[in-house]
Amino acid sequence: MASITTYVIRRLLFMIPVFLGVSILTFAISNAAGDPISLIRQGLRSAPPEVLEALRVYYHLDQPLYIRYLYWLWNILQLDLGESISGTPVITRMGAWVLTTLELQIPALILAVLIGVPIGVYSARHQYSKRDVSITTFALFGYSMPTFWLGLMMIIVFSLYLGWLPSGGAAGITRVWWGSEFSDRIAHLIMPLLVLTYVQLATFVRLMRGNMLQVLREDYVLSSRACGLRERTVIYKHALRNAISPIVTILGLGFGSSLAGAPALETAFNWPGLGYQFVVATFSLDIPLIVGITVVITIMLMIANIFTDLIYAMLDPRVRLG
Amino acid sequence: MDVLLDIQGLKTYFFTEAGVVKAVDGIDFHVGKDEAVGLVGESGSGKTVTGLSVLRIVPKPGRILAGTIRYEGEDLLSKSEEEMRKVRGSKIAMTFQDPTTSLDPLYTIGNQLLEVIQEHRKGLSKEEALEQAMKLLEMVGIPEPELRVRAYPHELSGGMKQRIAIARALASRPLLLFADEPTTNLDVTVQAQVLKLLEELRDKLKMSLVMITHDMGIIAETTQRVQVLYAGMVAEVAETPSLFRKPRHPYTEALLQAVPRIDQRKELKVIPGNIPNLINPPSGCRFHPRCPYAKELCWQKLPQLEATDDGHMAACHFWRELSLRGV
Amino acid sequence: MQKETKPESSTTVKREVTAARGERRGASQWAVAWRRFRRNKAGLAGLFIVLFFVFIALTSTWLAPYPSRSFQALYEGEAGQPPSWKHPFGTSRAGLDIYSEVLHGTRGDLYVGVGATVVAILIGMVIGAVAGYSRGAGSDVLLMLSQVFYTIPLLPLILLFARVFSILVAQGFGLTLILLLLGVFGWSSISFIVRGEILRVRELEFVQASRAIGASKFRIIFRHIVPNILTPIIITATLFIAGNILTEVVISFLGFGDVNTSTWGITIQEGITYMRTEWWTPVFPGLATLLAVLGFNLVGDGLSDALNPRLRD
Repeated sequence: MASITTYVIRRLLFMIPVFLGVSILTFAISNAAGDPISLIRQGLRSAPPEVLEALRVYYHLDQPLYIRYLYWLWNILQLDLGESISGTPVITRMGAWVLTTLELQIPALILAVLIGVPIGVYSARHQYSKRDVSITTFALFGYSMPTFWLGLMMIIVFSLYLGWLPSGGAAGITRVWWGSEFSDRIAHLIMPLLVLTYVQLATFVRLMRGNMLQVLREDYVLSSRACGLRERTVIYKHALRNAISPIVTILGLGFGSSLAGAPALETAFNWPGLGYQFVVATFSLDIPLIVGITVVITIMLMIANIFTDLIYAMLDPRVRLG
Repeated sequence: MDVLLDIQGLKTYFFTEAGVVKAVDGIDFHVGKDEAVGLVGESGSGKTVTGLSVLRIVPKPGRILAGTIRYEGEDLLSKSEEEMRKVRGSKIAMTFQDPTTSLDPLYTIGNQLLEVIQEHRKGLSKEEALEQAMKLLEMVGIPEPELRVRAYPHELSGGMKQRIAIARALASRPLLLFADEPTTNLDVTVQAQVLKLLEELRDKLKMSLVMITHDMGIIAETTQRVQVLYAGMVAEVAETPSLFRKPRHPYTEALLQAVPRIDQRKELKVIPGNIPNLINPPSGCRFHPRCPYAKELCWQKLPQLEATDDGHMAACHFWRELSLRGV
Repeated sequence: MQKETKPESSTTVKREVTAARGERRGASQWAVAWRRFRRNKAGLAGLFIVLFFVFIALTSTWLAPYPSRSFQALYEGEAGQPPSWKHPFGTSRAGLDIYSEVLHGTRGDLYVGVGATVVAILIGMVIGAVAGYSRGAGSDVLLMLSQVFYTIPLLPLILLFARVFSILVAQGFGLTLILLLLGVFGWSSISFIVRGEILRVRELEFVQASRAIGASKFRIIFRHIVPNILTPIIITATLFIAGNILTEVVISFLGFGDVNTSTWGITIQEGITYMRTEWWTPVFPGLATLLAVLGFNLVGDGLSDALNPRLRD
């Protein structure tokens, strides 16, 4: 087990340059848009010079850019993400947003894996059968369409036309759907969850099927059969584990890009999560908020990556060395 | 001699997008008790597929279309999948060419040995099974088996992996082993060791061996009788010494001429032409496009396997007329 | 088969497999791959779709009944109309003929999709080549760089860039900006492929032998490395194009795109506000996106099948 720990530590160390890279980029770009003072000034028409001066010092605007970055980095490490233009500290609002986004992302991921992997295995084992063809086509459409657009289509049909489901938001504002507060949230969750699950599932089915097809042609599958092992053992103990190993790392990336791509889906459903707020913040050039959200997304990404790296190392012994 | 395995008229085809590949197109083959038989031919001759057919593990899109396969008198082709599974590994076993890929890289070799041992002998406890595994490793000449048991395949050398693959195949003491190119992927120095190991095991376990190879040298060293395959069909069958002394089929002659010899100063003779298209094989005798002795009859009519006057079986129209060179 | 006299052996299954898999290359390899691709119905369908869209992109100026971003329908009193003979995809509330917008949008999206892929491949090949050929610290740094770019969240950064440089966007450089951004952030997988292949080929015996007899680096590159990386790069390229089109649609949908050019994403975005009543506005551009991406994905899968045969010996 020691080698797994070293592996994970190595991956953690790798995350540091990633984090630095992202934060530097974000910080530099957003500051290129204009210094915080002039942006705030746009909000506060006339502010007394003392206030402006105090803000200047607060934002270290008298210092060169890289110093400001270091100040900011230092704050981050103390979990102080600064204040958004609106005045409230970034971090207080972030918590709710993170939860809202995760409320959608995590169930979707779990469902996509639980449903997608077995379907992929089945499809590979029955290659070229009618079922395989329909599954492959189903998956093909899934990863070829813009996720948010599918969401829009579903809203049009199930909300605007049929009125069965709410058209947006995470919870009812004007009314409470389906009885209780809990089922209200469920009602709002269904469509975005379905859409996100379908699209992610499509990718997993395709990956799993592809890997499985390759693995089923490997010699150790044949030799396991030649030794008289049960087909169940051959498929689930040997083939599946070999097929799923490379997928696990893709899972991490997939979760990351789903997170990063969340803005579109959340916007389509008016889902007040990180992605949605990021779009809002970017439009209003609320720099601290923009940077803060990007940092949080990156951290979540890093956690997901570490987690999947861990699983990968547990599954495949060859990874733990060199 | 008691016949252990008797194959008659085996046909195994692969139904691919490019067409139907007739990998095995009518092969008769038998193996006696405690006998070492060679199955020799170029790649694509059908030798591996024959072994896979006996065990009925021919991968899709392949299918056994015709023939009978009798083992100890029982027809294997009429057995159910479950019955066949009991035969594999315990009565008939097979090892594969590349030891690196024939072991699962994700599990320790102990794990892979145990799963086979425990599959064929249900009542065994884990300790007993582990003991068996150790004994197997010792039998194939692996030093320090207690350490090796916890190792992963990628931590071992090619020679060791092949020995382990052999151990796994022999876990339940089968009476018949198909060894598919057991030495091709190994270093030359290790090759001799593995061949010697197979010889020892055969002796110790009173096991029959089918040596599948393209290397005539290995045939000479390890087999008593040999079957030459070409393009999915049998070209010649003979006792090994006799085959080498005087082949009765032009393809056999060509194979023998292609073996480099240290005691003869002559050019290496390459067999001209390409291996045949198994989807659209040449008409008549499959070897005729590359045969130096081919006449019109050869591409008109498919020769049948006939008994020759010196104990061989040859599928050539002109075995009587031709005087072929041996080594 | 017709009667043969003394036939030659035709191309064999064996040679197909060997030729497609081995290091030896000849004209036959591409011919073989093309034949296999032809047999793949899905891949052909994809190719047909892609060519169809290319055709539209090239001819949209003449094909479309209304020019790009023309709100003429408003003046004709036909804004906000459902699909009809005159406006097959309906009109938006602002007066855009959706059918024309979709046709014009083809050019915009293909421009971004293909352009970004080209940029990504160029950058990726250069970095991958340098990383693969050099040894020591330089190679490691580049590898690290590739890995960082592979991991960073793409969309937030692009959105930020697009917003900050929105001046450029408004001046009509929007599509090019997005194209560059997608390319600059997306090259990492290509560099992995190139680097990996160089490392692999470098260690092959016959390459070391070539070096020993004095073959120059260029010779080695062109004869051995390039044919081997072409396959995965071509396949990755088609999938990249598909992905980039999707990302472009997302970017425009969120409002970061160029409002003055027709793209599918912009049209969808404009349709959001009045989705309740003019539902056709977001539907059709989305369908076009789906079809285009589908086409590229099918081609990519078909190529992958054709160039990496899974035939058994």
